[in-house]
Amino acid sequence: MTLIVGPLFNGKRRFAMELLGCGEEELSRRAVWDVQDLAGSCSDLEALAAELSAHEVVISTEVGGGVVPTDPAERAAREAAGRLNCLLAKRADRVIRVFCGLPMVLKGAL
Amino acid sequence: MMTLVVGGAASGKSEYAERLVVHAGETPRVYIATMQPFDQESLRRIDKHRRMRAEKHFETLECYTNLASAQVPAGSTVLLECVSNLCANEIYSPDGSGENAAQAIRRGVEHLRGRCGELIVVSNELFSGGSIYEGDTLRYLKVLGQVNRELAAMADDVCEVVCGIPCWYKGGERFYDLV
Repeated sequence: MTLIVGPLFNGKRRFAMELLGCGEEELSRRAVWDVQDLAGSCSDLEALAAELSAHEVVISTEVGGGVVPTDPAERAAREAAGRLNCLLAKRADRVIRVFCGLPMVLKGAL
Repeated sequence: MMTLVVGGAASGKSEYAERLVVHAGETPRVYIATMQPFDQESLRRIDKHRRMRAEKHFETLECYTNLASAQVPAGSTVLLECVSNLCANEIYSPDGSGENAAQAIRRGVEHLRGRCGELIVVSNELFSGGSIYEGDTLRYLKVLGQVNRELAAMADDVCEVVCGIPCWYKGGERFYDLV
């Protein structure tokens, strides 16, 4: 599994399509994205990470920057999203951060 | 050649960008300022930066919208700061290009790149503070995200400045000896 992370609107999905050599429709079968949104309501992040890892590519938006949210639910969701990214990165064969559309390999090789 | 320098607030991106300008040598130096002064605080800020740049022999060119009309000397070194301001001006100013903001900025940067010797473009990293946005903020972020990606694709060198230190995503080898 390849984990692609990066800030919002920085071209993660476009890069995934380049990596897999596919279009949007095929990407929806081979990859899963916005997984950071699944973390907040999840009671077992390990199980979620394991389930997501069945995909060829997992895409997650980094949401841990900026000020800690004052709303407890938002705070917990942000925390869980970061934890999930770490669990996914551990399972991943490679981890790529996409910044301004450009990849940086954090684990493994392109 | 074109370098894109991106960073968060107070990351040291401006200072690093100015070092890149000095590194380019003794060509005419043009600073393209994009911040519209709305109050006394912004006027003081602009004045401070202007004096700082005068020491480095920059000529300052104010450009709030329509970057493609900016006149710079051929072969000069140009510092464009900051794309995030320019982006807001293009979207929201009555003189701006509204829906075509991203295209206007890309064309403007292409125009500068074709004219000057070294182009250094500074932009903001505003995208790691969450993903729950709506309305005007969401619209602005989408446009700036697109602009940042397009400029990164055009640039020869792209870095993110963290604590004043450049992390290169593209190129950058020619600046490795720069301290």
